[in-house]
Amino acid sequence: MGEAIVITSGKGGVGKTTTTANLGTALALQGKKVCLVDTDIGLRNLDVVLGLENRIIYDLVDVVEGRCKVHQALVKDKRVDEKLFLLPAAQTTDKNAVNPEQMKSLIDELKRDFDYVLIDCPAGIEQGYRNAVAGADRAIVVATPEISAVRDADRIIGLLEQEEIEPPKLIINRIRKHLMTSGDTMDITEVTAHLSIDLLGIIVDSEDVISSSNKGEPIVMDPSNKASLGYRNIARRILGESVPLVALEDERKGMFAKIKSIFAK
Amino acid sequence: MKKQLVHIKGTKDGLVLRLDDQCAYVDLLEELQRKVSEGGIDGKVDVQVHLGNRYCTNEQKKELIQIVQGLGKMLVSKVQSDVLTVEECNQKMLQKNCDTYVGIVRSGQILRATGDIIVIGDVNPNGRIEAGGNIYVLGKLKGIVHAGVSGNAEAVIAASHFEPTHVLIADRVETMSNEQQFVQTHTEQLCAYIDEHGIISYDHIQEVRNLRPSFTTFKGGS
Repeated sequence: MGEAIVITSGKGGVGKTTTTANLGTALALQGKKVCLVDTDIGLRNLDVVLGLENRIIYDLVDVVEGRCKVHQALVKDKRVDEKLFLLPAAQTTDKNAVNPEQMKSLIDELKRDFDYVLIDCPAGIEQGYRNAVAGADRAIVVATPEISAVRDADRIIGLLEQEEIEPPKLIINRIRKHLMTSGDTMDITEVTAHLSIDLLGIIVDSEDVISSSNKGEPIVMDPSNKASLGYRNIARRILGESVPLVALEDERKGMFAKIKSIFAK
Repeated sequence: MKKQLVHIKGTKDGLVLRLDDQCAYVDLLEELQRKVSEGGIDGKVDVQVHLGNRYCTNEQKKELIQIVQGLGKMLVSKVQSDVLTVEECNQKMLQKNCDTYVGIVRSGQILRATGDIIVIGDVNPNGRIEAGGNIYVLGKLKGIVHAGVSGNAEAVIAASHFEPTHVLIADRVETMSNEQQFVQTHTEQLCAYIDEHGIISYDHIQEVRNLRPSFTTFKGGS
């Protein structure tokens, strides 16, 4: 029996879908069988970020309405062999096509076959949110260090605390260290103290995340990237390892490299 | 001789009219009317009316006051009865009640209490507390607080970290955008209250004992 984790944020555009895609891939790379469920019915894009758009045949609404079996709708990601699957959302209808009870039984069914079921939640706190949370055992809240994202995260945490699930965990996404050190955005301790929930991990801002999303290839596939490292660390923490946070400081150049950079001019 | 239904006593605070609580209400009114019009009072006198174990409705109380003040010489300062209805009693209990909330009042959440409330935790921005009595926040207060919702202007709001966006006491509203100098420089251990001019003011928590000495429920001590 696997575990269902909902990834949510309240505010849109903070990186729920990117986080879902990358965490799922990272967990699959660790050898776990993972299913990603896109619950953003009507505005799906988890399939695009994963580069699986062309392979969709059936979707979540087809499954719920009994037009196909669950395994028929699952799209396999061939890059991670037999480990990563996607259940895409429907694009032609809206969030009211599904209700929380249907979602719960669907997620329960998926939990039997997978180690982890990651649920990508739509923005907002309406029907889509209620559907996404219905089947979840745990919740991850994604926030950027902006005041608006933190406000919405606060609201969503309040709602999650009323559900019968474990206390939610926080991922702070898109951290720009120069803004944080200069005090132009909230820093990590400020955000965690304000929301007062456990910090699951931090992801530094990286332009490669955008370009890799556009290519349909999650950034975790690139082991040298700092954002990728953040996602990999979070995946390991989900698996129960204790991993320290990635250092935020600029990489200090060694003496030799400094001298070399002087001569390189 | 017939039993006296109205006793008049003089105290240093004025007269006390002690009304019999066993006779019929009509008889009482009659006798009161007579006693009051007997006169013999020079100038104005403060009067307290004691009803004993008689329950009077608000209309009846008004009637009594009218009779006493009818001649314009007596001024009723207080009508006092030893009897409460169960409903009034429950109401009082609810107002005296002190609720404790352990946790964080997050954005969009509203916490309501009939009496006082103690929050052990933070009140985040857009979180709201409404209490019939006082509000005490042991953590950071950054949201909206409304003390004395049902009109109790005596209510105070106290927090260990005082940085609310809106402060409401009874029917007064203060948005903290034009917050006072005092709150800008101090945020630790503040309280908000309605001062003698009817304006929401702020002071150190330590001042509550001077501002609202009646709040303490502790008796005795060494």
